[in-house]
Amino acid sequence: MKTWFHSWRAAIRIARRDAWRAKGRSALVLAMIALPILGVSAFDLTYRSSELSPAEQMDRSIGAADARFLDARMGGVPLLQTPEGDNYAPAKDTGDGAWPTGPTDLDRAVPRGASVLTDSTGSARLTTRHGLLQAEVRELQAGDPVARGIMTLLDGRHPGKPDEVMATSHFLKTSGLTVGSTVSARNFDRPYRIVGSYELPDELESLQINALPGAFLAPYAKAVEKSGLPAPESSTSYLVRHRGGFTWNTVQQINAMGVVVMSRAVVLDPPADSEVPLYKKEGWGNYGTSAAANAAELAAAGTVVGLAMLEIGLLAGPAFAVGARRSRRQLGLVGANGGARSHIRAIVLSGGLVIGVAAALVGTVLALILTLALEPYLEELMGQRFGAFDIRPLELLGIALIAVLTGLLAAVVPAVTASRQTVLASLTGRRGVRRSSRVLPLVGLGALLLGGTIALYGSVMSDEFMIVAGGSAIAELGVVAMTPALVGLFGRLGRWLPLAPRLALRDAVRNRGRTAPAVAAVLAAVAGTVAVSTYGASRDAQSRAEYEAMLPHGAVSAVVLEEGGRDVPAVREAVERNLPVDVRADVERVQVGKLGCPPWGGGPGCGRYELVVPKANECPLYVRVPGGGDASEKYAPEQRRKLLTEDWRCEQNGNGGNMHVEGGLLVGDAKLLKVLGIDDAGAEKALAEGKIVTFHRPLIDRNGTLGIKRVTDTVAADKAMEKGLPAPGEVSPIPAYLVRGEPTSYGLQALMTPATAKAAGLTTVPYGSYFSTDRMPDEEQRQKLDAELAKLGGSAEVHVETGFTDESSIVLLSLAVFAGLVTIGAAAIATGLAQADAEADLKTLAAVGAPPRVRRTLSGFQCGVVATMGVVLGSAAGVLPAMGLRLTEERQEIRFHEEALAEGWSLDVTPPYVPIVIPWETLAVLLVAVPLGAALLAALVTRSRGAVARRAVT
Amino acid sequence: MSTQQPVLQLQNLVRVHGSGATEVHALRGIDLAVHPGELVAVMGPSGSGKSTLLTIAGGLDMPTSGRVIVENTDITTAGLKELAALRRRSIGYVFQDYNLIPALTAAENVALPRELDGVSARKARVEALAALEEMSLGHLADRFPDEMSGGQQQRVAIARALVGDRRLVLADEPTGALDSETGESVLALLRSRCDAGAAGVLVTHEPRFAAWADRVVFLRDGAIVDQTVRSEADSLLTGQGQGPSWGQVAER
Repeated sequence: MKTWFHSWRAAIRIARRDAWRAKGRSALVLAMIALPILGVSAFDLTYRSSELSPAEQMDRSIGAADARFLDARMGGVPLLQTPEGDNYAPAKDTGDGAWPTGPTDLDRAVPRGASVLTDSTGSARLTTRHGLLQAEVRELQAGDPVARGIMTLLDGRHPGKPDEVMATSHFLKTSGLTVGSTVSARNFDRPYRIVGSYELPDELESLQINALPGAFLAPYAKAVEKSGLPAPESSTSYLVRHRGGFTWNTVQQINAMGVVVMSRAVVLDPPADSEVPLYKKEGWGNYGTSAAANAAELAAAGTVVGLAMLEIGLLAGPAFAVGARRSRRQLGLVGANGGARSHIRAIVLSGGLVIGVAAALVGTVLALILTLALEPYLEELMGQRFGAFDIRPLELLGIALIAVLTGLLAAVVPAVTASRQTVLASLTGRRGVRRSSRVLPLVGLGALLLGGTIALYGSVMSDEFMIVAGGSAIAELGVVAMTPALVGLFGRLGRWLPLAPRLALRDAVRNRGRTAPAVAAVLAAVAGTVAVSTYGASRDAQSRAEYEAMLPHGAVSAVVLEEGGRDVPAVREAVERNLPVDVRADVERVQVGKLGCPPWGGGPGCGRYELVVPKANECPLYVRVPGGGDASEKYAPEQRRKLLTEDWRCEQNGNGGNMHVEGGLLVGDAKLLKVLGIDDAGAEKALAEGKIVTFHRPLIDRNGTLGIKRVTDTVAADKAMEKGLPAPGEVSPIPAYLVRGEPTSYGLQALMTPATAKAAGLTTVPYGSYFSTDRMPDEEQRQKLDAELAKLGGSAEVHVETGFTDESSIVLLSLAVFAGLVTIGAAAIATGLAQADAEADLKTLAAVGAPPRVRRTLSGFQCGVVATMGVVLGSAAGVLPAMGLRLTEERQEIRFHEEALAEGWSLDVTPPYVPIVIPWETLAVLLVAVPLGAALLAALVTRSRGAVARRAVT
Repeated sequence: MSTQQPVLQLQNLVRVHGSGATEVHALRGIDLAVHPGELVAVMGPSGSGKSTLLTIAGGLDMPTSGRVIVENTDITTAGLKELAALRRRSIGYVFQDYNLIPALTAAENVALPRELDGVSARKARVEALAALEEMSLGHLADRFPDEMSGGQQQRVAIARALVGDRRLVLADEPTGALDSETGESVLALLRSRCDAGAAGVLVTHEPRFAAWADRVVFLRDGAIVDQTVRSEADSLLTGQGQGPSWGQVAER
């Protein structure tokens, strides 16, 4: 043991000094290992620091209070909650029915002797320097000691009077306001002065203002109601302080009154899962951490780390091999002085150890410095303040250990190779062609066959991605292990090549020990890139095919859902001013109830309407069954399939579109048909005659009319629905015209003129406009429009139909660039190694009269040969698993499709389209440009004149 | 010639490189014994087998047949590990040039065989310093090889070859890369070490340097063609170079 230690010390000393002497090479390898370590350590530090302890979390959410009482809005029925209070359900099972609704009396739950601070939130469209801004309005006495920790005052002071507010720094930045400005809200004439700025440590990006309790939300709601709009909603929770806090038992007692409790005591010391009744309810469970999920995550992380280490090891390996080769004489001397093979191995391995330890140190220290220095930026980026700066020595040590292991891993093969040389060969510089190991390629072949079989099984027999991915990974490792043998196959091509490339290829093939790792590194990187690129390109093709345009190409829609279309004129004007519009088709929508109601009702005084499907036209699969139940159960899968694909009553009429109104019913004129590209003379005539034009045959009854049912009592309607009965309401029948030939109507189901609507007794409100354009609006025009619309507080919804835009091309490009860099790096390292080896050949060449440029050409070709072998093998190894994955996906999608048809679920009846697309551009770049670039680069940086030949030691 | 047990014994040594058409007989039945205190010079034209003889004597290469006995151990039957240990404990090598490991100082170079043998770094350094002092090289202890002259490097190499209990120095053209004056000083040191009890084998093709030896062995085509003892060698070499008198250590 002691002997071992002393001889290793000597080895490490030699390795350390050697690393220092070859600064360039050492720095390169150090950077290769240290960079990922830096990244991972910095991530660990950031993650751990941003991960708050339960105590820190509590401070930020309930301040100094003992608990927050929240209104579950279930009318005060007893409920069950999670210990954290983030999830809850009624204690009594409600079956399939809806949960009870209604406010809860929080006061009743407050124990005697407790102090309460109210915390209310609502939202409003606030006036800013630029226009309107949708923001959160909070009413919390922020200066109260109980609230300490929830808000951090940055500037100014807390509001002290009812007409004062403070605002988050993000709100001030976004709105252009400052401390001292006044702010108000739309439909509200009361001004508030901003007296301070603050931030929420957990939500730095929150747009919020804070007023005194009762100072903003209540008067604002009153003002809005007065202007005829539904009152905005707000909610209030209680920050409660009580001696002794709230234990899990107390929390459960309070739950019985319909109140959810977020208790500090419970969060800091949570009860066992067995003591949480909610988890025992059907369908509930503590899904936070299951052992299987943990294991899967761990396995995935382990695989990624392992593959990354392998890749770095493969890249850095040749550098150690260069080092070992350059110091061959030195290793020979050690051998002559009694160094055994183990000593030689120790010296080369120590090289890896030294660089690994240095990389670990550099990476960890830099990560610490960078994370500390960049803390404010990281916090902004993550949108929350860190807790304490959390350094976990064990985790950092573990990450650092990976660096050391990577260094050692990279040096293993060179160490074994160096130790196998005889002392005499090392001393005399005699070069023998070393046979590469036959075991490794055989193991590789085994892995390739095994992995290939698994992946093949996965792609042909099953539809499990994991099987294909796992099999591919095993096969890929197999190919990496087989690289030496595969490199040998390339040697046969040499016969037909001219001198320089022939020499380069022969040299690479004869010295597989140094060529193989570099080729393997290129192979692994390229295979990954090609796999992802192929998969991505195929996905893109699929998305392109599946893309559903919401409007004809180049058309624009601008609609307003809020406040009865109050902003419609302003929006129309903004669109016309900023975009190159041609035809403008104004549309309105049918409104039931108060003026400010949104579509589909909601809120008191708001109703909705339905387009009636006559009983005879109902799809038999979807007929309402009294008492609830599924009509489709009566049919066999084959019948369902037939109904869905062949019966006109079951036909879906929803070819894309984004109509935000009930039934896709719009009120407008023939211009809309023009914008949507629907050419039907009969339809225009029908509109003029006061008919309703529809694209959906089942809507028209025997008398040729289409019924619109106004539902004013939504509560009664919901109850009827539950029972499978039609909703009560008054039906207005309107003569209808059916557009034949199934044109794409982009979600529009029915259209009538305002006059027709009025005649039928329907109220309408402005909805927006549809525009056709002269040419596609460009990015600048759209940004200008977005900026103008933002001043309206985000009430308008604008869509410009630009067709399918693929988003993955940037990812594919950066992947190709990454693989290119790895390729060039690995090829350059291998070339450096070949150069170190080929000195004698070059001297011989020079001696027989080769011009100096042969040296350049040779090194260029050496680099090119490595890069080419890597990318050719890598491309082949990458395309196949991607194709396997796609085949699996195709099988899965077809199965889903068949199942959906058999079950009678309405679905697009066209079979799924899952193409396999080879990314030729990426492949071309990798196969042609990268090796060419690597070769040129190597040729450029090689000196054409070598050192003066000197007789080698004999 | 000493009556003591020889440090190195070569018995009927044969070394054949390659086989068939490429067969080369590098050594053809060499018999040689080197005793403590004796310096033997091996001379001969290029390709006569001088270097092969030396590499086989040190266990860096194996004979096709015959025996090599170093300090009573037959190294032809020893394993790789035993051979390495033997080089650490019994045999020292000095080559033509680049003898020292560039990453180590003079003292560390000398200490290397001891450290590889598992001796603690401190103890190895003490021994190395002692060895260097003994050869009046103490002032070079902390210099790196590239901070020393060629002659200094070769003398440090001799110190390393003899550190510990090693008694056999195998020197392959140790003066080949040096000017003649420096070469003389290196050989003087080697001579003095042999006078102090070590056994040395010196391969050289310069008769001038061979004159430092007790005995000169002439090789041609792998066989010993002639042997001269010191006095004969003296007269043999007269006129080709004035050999200094024994024991005189000339420092450059």
